[in-house]
Amino acid sequence: MGLIVRTPWSRIGEIIASETALTALRLSLVVATAAAAISLVLGFPIAWALARAEFRGKTFVRTLVVLPLVMPPVVAGVGLLAAFGRRGVVGSWLYEAFGVQVTFTTGAAVLAATFVSLPLAVLVLEVGLRGLDDRLEDAASTLGASRAYTLRRVVLPLMGSQIVAALVLAWARALGEFGATITFAGNLQGRTQTLPLAVFERLQTDPEAAFAVSMLLIGLAFVVILGLRGRFLR
Amino acid sequence: MRRWACLLVAGASLLAGCSDPEGAGATSERALTVSAASSLTEVFTEIGDAFESANPGVSVTFNFGPSDGLATQINEGAPVDVFASASPTWGDAVQDDGPGVTGRADFARNELAILVPSDNPAGIEGIDDLSEDDLRLVLAAEGVPAGDYAREILANAGIAGAALANVVSNEEDVKAVITKVLSGDADAGIGYVTDVTPGVGDQITLVPIPDDVNVIATYPIAVVSGSEEADLAQRFVDYVLGAGQRTLAEYGFLPA
Repeated sequence: MGLIVRTPWSRIGEIIASETALTALRLSLVVATAAAAISLVLGFPIAWALARAEFRGKTFVRTLVVLPLVMPPVVAGVGLLAAFGRRGVVGSWLYEAFGVQVTFTTGAAVLAATFVSLPLAVLVLEVGLRGLDDRLEDAASTLGASRAYTLRRVVLPLMGSQIVAALVLAWARALGEFGATITFAGNLQGRTQTLPLAVFERLQTDPEAAFAVSMLLIGLAFVVILGLRGRFLR
Repeated sequence: MRRWACLLVAGASLLAGCSDPEGAGATSERALTVSAASSLTEVFTEIGDAFESANPGVSVTFNFGPSDGLATQINEGAPVDVFASASPTWGDAVQDDGPGVTGRADFARNELAILVPSDNPAGIEGIDDLSEDDLRLVLAAEGVPAGDYAREILANAGIAGAALANVVSNEEDVKAVITKVLSGDADAGIGYVTDVTPGVGDQITLVPIPDDVNVIATYPIAVVSGSEEADLAQRFVDYVLGAGQRTLAEYGFLPA
């Protein structure tokens, strides 16, 4: 509400069409989409293991998976820095072996966004897999279907709406990611400055522009959730 | 802490009761909110402690951040009693576009310097090295005093084009620049000579910028108009201009 009142509607077109806002919008879409896709690809096997397999330490693994959801994003950023920074556990190895530095790249922004959106994807997919009658899979295999065939022709089609829901939730969370990104990936226009970072930077000097870009972000999320409700979350 | 201790006592013995810690002192506590540039974090924390000791019953709360962001907060109505900015620009912003100020005075100056991780991975030895290819340079964002000064210095040195192309991140404030240098992820950053504080001194090396291209930052301080503790706020300003000067010098600030 406050935002609606304070947004400079007469300037909004100009602010949103500004190069900074458009660059940030484009980058946000790329980063959020990449993070959602990776979350789905990584999240599916994890969710599968949590829903179907029996193994020791399952509760521990589930806790670990969900942890980033409740972690303050700055802490996530510090953690990523400790792992993938130039002096980090993995980062120092990458740097020495391949001369690759993760921090300050778009990849780092994607990594930060994936870190916080993966748990959502896993949770949604796990619930979906649990709701699936596993006798269907048994039936498919007794009829001679291979596991891959069962996955492709039986499980995935039945999971359609959960997969979309997982994608959209992960996408939305990735779109809003701020703390881990600014801590770990830095803030550079066109490379790591996503919409939330653009809002934050603008707020320091031109609050009106920050309100306008915030409206853009809210509008984007609103449209996506509306679309999702219409189709999948009845 | 005191409140927790208080709760513990209350839990142990309900009969003993538990007086409100705020009212525990002989006089009611007076609170002062000071918004100060992030480059003042260490020195103002010490000055604040000294001011509290000199004025029993007074508690000073600091809000450290980028001067531009602090000015915006004040102009948006944040209840702040004293504003200390790392550049006159944002002092002016509060004075002219915000609630206004009283008792404004410059209280310190500060030199800028190149900051590199102590292992100096890019081998930076002078300002011209900042235009080298494939360097990861981190600056404070435009609008942040340290960021504006840095851009001015690069222009003075005639390397703005190449050096700005090396910028990998525009940070929220000068302390965030230090963080990126400390982690070793940035090859170099531009901050203040006072940023090499004892806490980080062994992990950061300072590379001086020649005087003919360097910029000296001027720090103004003032009481924000509308402060409910205007008298006390003015006392704090006077303290910074008086007794606080020695502390500022100890931390490497130059007199105004």
